[in-house]
Amino acid sequence: MEMSRTTAAPVKRRRLFQNNPSVLWFMGQLGLFTLGVTILSEGFGIGVISTNLVKILGMTLCLCLIAIAMDVVWGYCGILSLGHFAFFGLGGYAIGMWLMYARTEIVIRESLAGGTIPPTEREVSEAVASQIFSVVGSNELPLIWTFAGSLPFQLAMVVLVPGLLALIFGWLAFRSRVTGVYLSILTQAMTLALSLYLFQNDTGLRGNNGLSGLQNIPGFLHVPQSVISVWFFWASAFALGAGYLLFAWVVSGKFGSVIRAIRDNEARVRFLGYNVEGYKLFVFTLTAVISGIAGALYYPQAGIINPSEIAPIASIYLAVWVAIGGRGRLYGAVIGAASVSLLSSWLTGGGAPNIDLGFYRIIWTDWWLVMLGLGFVLITLFFPKGIGGLFDYLVRKQ
Amino acid sequence: MPRPSLIAILALCLFAWSLPAPAAAQSQTPLQDVLQGVQEQVARPSRAQVGAVLEALQAADAPGTASFLNRWAAREVYERPEDGLFFYGREGPDRSLTLIDIDTDAEVAEVTTRDVNQIRVNAGVRREIEASLVTFELLATDRDRRIGALRTIARSPEPDHIPALETALAEEEDGAVATRMARVLDLLNARFASDSATRVAAIEGLSGDITTEARRVLNQILSTESQFATEIPEGTNVARIRTPGEDLDLIDAYARLAEAGLVPPRPGRNAIRDALRANVSDGEVAGIPVHRLNTEEARREAYRALQEQGTVPPLPTQAEMDEAVGHFVFFDVYEEPDTAVTDAARDALDSTRTAIGLWQFLSLSLDALSLASIFFLAAIGLAITFGVMRVINMAHGEFIMMGAYTGFVVQTLIPNYTTSLIVALPMAFLVTFAAGVALERTVIRHLYTRPLETLLATFGISIALQQLAKNIFGTQARPLTSPDWLAGSLALNDIVSVSTIRVAIFVMALAFLLALVLILNRTRLGLEVRAVTQNPGMAASMGINPDRINMLTFGLGSGIAGVAGVSIGLVAQVTSEMGANYIVQSFMTVVVGGVGSVFGTLAGATLIGALQKGIEWFNPGNTLAAQTFMVLFIILFIQFRPKGIVALKGRAAGD
Repeated sequence: MEMSRTTAAPVKRRRLFQNNPSVLWFMGQLGLFTLGVTILSEGFGIGVISTNLVKILGMTLCLCLIAIAMDVVWGYCGILSLGHFAFFGLGGYAIGMWLMYARTEIVIRESLAGGTIPPTEREVSEAVASQIFSVVGSNELPLIWTFAGSLPFQLAMVVLVPGLLALIFGWLAFRSRVTGVYLSILTQAMTLALSLYLFQNDTGLRGNNGLSGLQNIPGFLHVPQSVISVWFFWASAFALGAGYLLFAWVVSGKFGSVIRAIRDNEARVRFLGYNVEGYKLFVFTLTAVISGIAGALYYPQAGIINPSEIAPIASIYLAVWVAIGGRGRLYGAVIGAASVSLLSSWLTGGGAPNIDLGFYRIIWTDWWLVMLGLGFVLITLFFPKGIGGLFDYLVRKQ
Repeated sequence: MPRPSLIAILALCLFAWSLPAPAAAQSQTPLQDVLQGVQEQVARPSRAQVGAVLEALQAADAPGTASFLNRWAAREVYERPEDGLFFYGREGPDRSLTLIDIDTDAEVAEVTTRDVNQIRVNAGVRREIEASLVTFELLATDRDRRIGALRTIARSPEPDHIPALETALAEEEDGAVATRMARVLDLLNARFASDSATRVAAIEGLSGDITTEARRVLNQILSTESQFATEIPEGTNVARIRTPGEDLDLIDAYARLAEAGLVPPRPGRNAIRDALRANVSDGEVAGIPVHRLNTEEARREAYRALQEQGTVPPLPTQAEMDEAVGHFVFFDVYEEPDTAVTDAARDALDSTRTAIGLWQFLSLSLDALSLASIFFLAAIGLAITFGVMRVINMAHGEFIMMGAYTGFVVQTLIPNYTTSLIVALPMAFLVTFAAGVALERTVIRHLYTRPLETLLATFGISIALQQLAKNIFGTQARPLTSPDWLAGSLALNDIVSVSTIRVAIFVMALAFLLALVLILNRTRLGLEVRAVTQNPGMAASMGINPDRINMLTFGLGSGIAGVAGVSIGLVAQVTSEMGANYIVQSFMTVVVGGVGSVFGTLAGATLIGALQKGIEWFNPGNTLAAQTFMVLFIILFIQFRPKGIVALKGRAAGD
């Protein structure tokens, strides 16, 4: 995606920024934020921000990335997908397999190196398998782990698995003209099926134990987490910036007009001779791939991934973020995802002080979801444009 | 439901009718008198004379005889030398002994063990007594006791039981009991009879018998053992000959020969590695540098080099193993030597398997039906709100949860489970009806033109309600106990059984279906609902108030969800997340069945229930896999029939 933009003529880029003044502004903000966090971090700066907080901020950037993908597919193209977290999770699993395999292999090789004769490849892979899979009562390496030791292969999987799944699913769904709430329910069924599948112990991804220890990066096992967390923060910021540019480019220009037209009146676009299914399929697949990449950056910072991460509820939260932020505008999705997920982790993490009303004590961990749910209803009813709508209001007032 | 009062009346009648019974029992000879009649033989039992005692006891059939026989055999009976009376004794500290009257169970006296004679029963006599105990029970006048004895024999069959059973069968007058006796006799004869013809006949009698006891007996007869020999000995009852390389692993076959000491053992991968480790010298093994030993081939090569030096046991080549194994025949042999018996048992088991297959299919169908009724109950409310009104209510699951918690609260207030259930059902309807109306008035009516946003707004309600339930009731699962008369199960045979509660839920689902069809098709409200959903403008101009109808319809759908919640709570745990478990499945039920049709929802629920159980049949014990494949199937199904099984046509189809 980097390539496509650099090869684009400067004329086009000027037009992109002219059409979307918010892109440059967003890039500036993101750059400043990244710089600020780096200076304040433990690994590279003065250590005001703890490593844990750097990780949370990096993870939030990944959530912002999947939120703008969701915004493009829903806010711009009108497909309310309740399954994009499945792609996010698949990206995480793909990279998690390499992280877990390669780290275990290093540990196993170190422990076997002490023997009088060197271990065979088979001995190593058997030892790795029994180390990883003893928790689900198996000691054989499942077929899908055959190339788990290869970073390029698993990186390709980060893109290919979500992309192919979205392509096949989208092709089936759009071809038979499943639209509206039916499509939403179908995507929800997809993510439910996937999470149920991954919950099984015999599917080769450790069932409900998931993949763990992902924060240890093979090859950099002796680099402290404070440094690694900043690296991942940078990577997340870069991915968010690149993703933002890519999507800003996609939704501007003629392509953007067509997908917005599909959102507003699908039948009319079809009668005008456009291949509606093709456009939808492209948007669905592209956003799925970006979601996969976001997941691949998110889970090494989270350290663990398990099937409950891709339960239907996660994808619904994604829609909530985008709706609160204001759909149909990329910065709205970023604002929604960042504010709601940070507020959520602050309130449920015990960071916020409980309020004693005398007759009742408000404990935020108990009441946050109630507030979020009701607040969300109010926003849907009275502010359908979300927080982003406020900007419109202010601009018009000026 | 007049059940408890009915039971009370029945009990009263029974009581009145059975009053004369104790008087009749008293007219029987007390056990003590019977025993005094054969005092000498009881006090000094011997194998030759025990028969007389048993006959006497049998003839008198005094109450407590079985208990006496048991305790007699267990040496708990004492004789008082002064009058020759018998007592049960309970040993206390310091050789003290409490004498207990045999007939009344009353404590008679406190003595020491020196004052009375403990009756010592030797092993031979004990066996006689125990055999007679079975006979005694089999010949009891009480039918239930005879059946109980049969059950005990079937559970732990012994060869000694055969003559007793034969005697009992000859005297049995009750046809049903006689049939059971004959069957148990077959069970015993199949395993223990001495001549082959009797056994074969008995086995043929067991053919098609699906009880676990019968199958266990047949499987026991057919148990095999793996053996090998240079050639199969004469008179061996061979079950199967195994060919190495085909249905027997060559390395396993060789290992078995090695185990028997016929060939030198074959060193495995670990043995080779250990041997190499032991023979490392100057950084190499038999001339091969250590660092090269990181492949299987290199290791074997090094091992063979060591083998030539004679330092390690030989590693047989493929050809050598083939040759060694080729000298022997590997076969499975029946532990039962008689071919006629094993053949008959195999045939019997085959026909039993067919019968089992049929019964299991029936059982599976019942399971599927029961699952389908749960899906139907969960989805039926949605069939109204989503199917008829086209409102996506993601909080539907929370209405189910709300209904279940209403049931729980009612149950904590009213301790009688039957009454509380009767109160809980309408209560749940009222609570969720009110909640539904409130939701429709405050949120949904503003969003009728924006279906996707209804989805999101009701999802907000859903997470808020879930968290509220968690705050109020805590996170642990709350039980919703069903009354005793719903707790049992209906068993047709050893394979097919349905718990009563599932039957009740099935009946409930049927009742719901009927009620809903009646309301929608036969009442004023139903007419107005259909009118408003098909064309609100036209309905309004005909004098129908669409607001009121929408409110009532949504309330009705929600209220039904609440009642469904009570029934689901009886089979599943009541938690704040129980609704979320059903919501996706419920939507799929409605979509698969066909939006807008109650019968469609029924068809959808039946299809999904049958499918899930069907998949479980192929992959037993893996509910998760069944659910995964079911969801995949639904995704594919919607590809080919996007409007569902029952697709509405014409104006009713709306769009």
